[in-house]
Amino acid sequence: MSYFDGKVPPIREDRLKACITYGGTICGLKKKAGGCCFNDGERGFTQGSICLLLPGIAILNSIPDSVVLLHGAIGCGSCAHSQNANVRSGNVQRGGKVKDALWMSTALNENDVINGGETKLEEAIREADRRYRPASIIVVAGCVPGIIGDDVDGVAAKLQPQVNAKILPVHCEGFKTKIWATAYDAVYHALGRNLLEEPEEILPIIPDEIADLKEKYYLERTVNIMNVSSMGRVDELELDRLLRSLGLEVNFFPNFVHPEDIYKVTRAALSISTCPTHDDYFLKYLEEKFGIPYIARHMPIGINNTSSWIRDVAAFFGLEQQAEELIANEVAELEEALGEFKKVFQGKKVYVSAGEMRALANSSLLTELGFEVMGIRAFHHDEFAEVEYEKLTEGGAKDYPLNIANAQPFEEVNLLKRTKPDLFIGHWHSNTTAAKLGIACHVAYNTGLSYIGYQGVYEMARRLYRYLKNPAFNKKISKNIRLPYTEKWYESDPFKYIKTLGGEE
Amino acid sequence: MMSSSFVERPRYTCALGGAMATVTALPGAIPLLHTPGGCAGNITWTQNGACGLQAGGYCGGLTVPSSNVEQKDVVFGGVDRLKEQIGNTLDVMEGELYFVLTGCVTEVIGDDVRGVVGEFQGKGVSLIFAETGGFKGNSYYGYDQVLQSLFKNFVQQGVKKIKGRVNVWGIAPYLDVFWRGNLEGLRLVLEKVGLEVNTFFTAADSLEGIRQAASAELNIVVSDIYGVNAAAVFEEVHGTPYLTTSLPVGPAATDHFLRQVEAALSLNHSQVEEIIARENHVYYQYLEPLVDSYNDFDLQRYSIVVGDGNYAPSITKYLADDLGWLPELVVITDQLEDELKERLASRFRGLESGLQPAVVYETDTSEIISHFNRHWPRNKSQKYYNSFSPAFVVGSSLDRELALALGAAHLSVSFPVANRAVLDRGYTGYRGGLHLAEDLLSAAVANR
Repeated sequence: MSYFDGKVPPIREDRLKACITYGGTICGLKKKAGGCCFNDGERGFTQGSICLLLPGIAILNSIPDSVVLLHGAIGCGSCAHSQNANVRSGNVQRGGKVKDALWMSTALNENDVINGGETKLEEAIREADRRYRPASIIVVAGCVPGIIGDDVDGVAAKLQPQVNAKILPVHCEGFKTKIWATAYDAVYHALGRNLLEEPEEILPIIPDEIADLKEKYYLERTVNIMNVSSMGRVDELELDRLLRSLGLEVNFFPNFVHPEDIYKVTRAALSISTCPTHDDYFLKYLEEKFGIPYIARHMPIGINNTSSWIRDVAAFFGLEQQAEELIANEVAELEEALGEFKKVFQGKKVYVSAGEMRALANSSLLTELGFEVMGIRAFHHDEFAEVEYEKLTEGGAKDYPLNIANAQPFEEVNLLKRTKPDLFIGHWHSNTTAAKLGIACHVAYNTGLSYIGYQGVYEMARRLYRYLKNPAFNKKISKNIRLPYTEKWYESDPFKYIKTLGGEE
Repeated sequence: MMSSSFVERPRYTCALGGAMATVTALPGAIPLLHTPGGCAGNITWTQNGACGLQAGGYCGGLTVPSSNVEQKDVVFGGVDRLKEQIGNTLDVMEGELYFVLTGCVTEVIGDDVRGVVGEFQGKGVSLIFAETGGFKGNSYYGYDQVLQSLFKNFVQQGVKKIKGRVNVWGIAPYLDVFWRGNLEGLRLVLEKVGLEVNTFFTAADSLEGIRQAASAELNIVVSDIYGVNAAAVFEEVHGTPYLTTSLPVGPAATDHFLRQVEAALSLNHSQVEEIIARENHVYYQYLEPLVDSYNDFDLQRYSIVVGDGNYAPSITKYLADDLGWLPELVVITDQLEDELKERLASRFRGLESGLQPAVVYETDTSEIISHFNRHWPRNKSQKYYNSFSPAFVVGSSLDRELALALGAAHLSVSFPVANRAVLDRGYTGYRGGLHLAEDLLSAAVANR
């Protein structure tokens, strides 16, 4: 039985033994590879974080001609005010027209908590269908319906015959999982269960064999690229450029794909991930159900990673020789262009923080640029990253601190005080700590900026050069603003509040 | 029309979101969320998208301590986790006031937060709490709850009232994106008439000042809605009367505001009138070199004002009575009880200019254009058509599509403000009127 037969996907703690708690070093983690969590995954002190609802609706808000109906209290999903910027620019870049995201909330109140929110949800679905005439109504369940026991799938099934839009229930009850990457599974689960059916083919009156052959040829060379929502159009265009130069066609999925085009993902010859931990759940399903093989190994961030990513795709299509030519040309051109920046970066110390794959891939990139990595903070840990730890510890490379933490800047601030990097690379809202310490910072993702492929390496280098050239903003901040931690904390063991069980660590 | 089963793109977040923003804005305060881990992030992302590039503060964003309750706490209760979290927060986080805020999950499971907080208070820790489950109300409710808790549990009781000292609130931090500038603007105006002003949330305020807030002889709430319940609580606990006014933006409203304060505090009438005259003189000195351009460039605009219960009436009055524009439609985007709707409606009656804009209550952005179409006759292929032009939409960043559809210029003032950077800018008082004129007219001539 497939996971997709169930109403709700499994949480990643169960499916992948993913964890959010580790304090040690990069070599220390590598030695324990396969064992994953070394303790009960708990901390005695914690700071705020995000839940799966945020990355979940970041993807869902991008789906055109749809409404995202948040079933929860009125605040759940208000982060869409931030994500709207990505939807606006994404729509301009893809369709030439500004279009805001369209979301709404059932705004469950005290009365609904007592009496249940199902009736309200039914009315909301009917009203959304009547008012907006969307292709799909994406019902995203938050914590409250999860606790009071609303049957969101039941409501969707009951209402489906009564409305035009396709109803997609998505489970994002934040208290149920600590691994926010479960969001990707939740979204893929909903798309996979509801939108993969091919529309009925209308047979032409006069058969056109040449057109059929053309289509077949085209599909045999089509690659699905899974576009994570943190990846902007500029990054898609770079991957598109690289694969097209091998004579391949590209189908990006699922961000910004119209509900009526979602099924096209089932017709490609190959799927390739740009972030294995993002996509494994869906790629395995595509293979099982539709026989589409997949590759989920490298993230195309950094020079070697990009080359490896291209080689994997090329090998599948027997295009190894073309790929080597492409890579040699691209890398030579890039290396020459990087010269002026590498001189500045040589020996500079950097601390990297992001989702695990991205943090590790960024560390490879930064090493290639001449930086010395002083520490890594990854948001969670799972098996997909093992290949990246191999790369970073190859050939007896220097060891350094590794922190697995769903943000938890208190651990980071302690480590930063010790490692004193020149540069910090962080996720949104994770640069604040380093910035207040006066460290030059750069954001680990921002959908307007280029990060991916060879172009991404160059653009990243250009930006890092800028921030290192004049870090005055953060320096001045650090002289005038204090962080909210006690002096005692800076002297404590950074991993003091990680609870260990079973004698590990 | 507004749906009863959902709110489209709510222009606020939940009670917790308002509460976390409010506590973050208090000097030296540490919010402590008793919620699942994602609530802090949702609120923080909301701020980066909606608050004029202001997110976090001394202890905000993903820095806030949070108990991060999960499935097992939902089953067994989160009280032990909360105790552990508070204890360790005191070790790690440096604060002058620790403020526990509950969320949906811990409210539904019924954790005894009062009991836990009481244990720590017994040990002399400066720790208070507010019940801010998201299903209890929106972010303005959360703002009010935090103020209520502060007034009941932090502000010292039994202190002597000091003549000429006032507290001012009614402007919710971050939700009013111009909160700091607006509070400063009010302080400046009130100091001119000789008052000593506590505004709680600006760089000029301190926790010690807040602790002494009961020494004020009057509380001034510059809102018909936000913080009004807290003012009643303040009066009950500390015996301080309160005055509610609309948010005074620009000279006409500020003249009226000062006269209300004068009456409430029995200030010297001629002195207040003298200050009003002087401030108007300064305001119009600034405006003088604009006179040619205003008239020569045809800078009068038909307007639609879309905003919360503070901004909608205040901006409208400014446009109508100070700037000489033509506000035709006003959309109030809060969810309000009928009584509050009536109170707000009265703010639109008796405008000096004699204008009577249509006022509607609508939470859903995509419905606003229908209200406009009902209000303004469409062109039925007429050669001579009295069009809604030149036009301006003063609203939030969600109203850019409306402005585009109407061919109108646009300025984001009310939450969410995604497309402006806001630091000390404010629209209250006489100076605020100048700022608003600058921003509106800058947008009107942006393509010049």
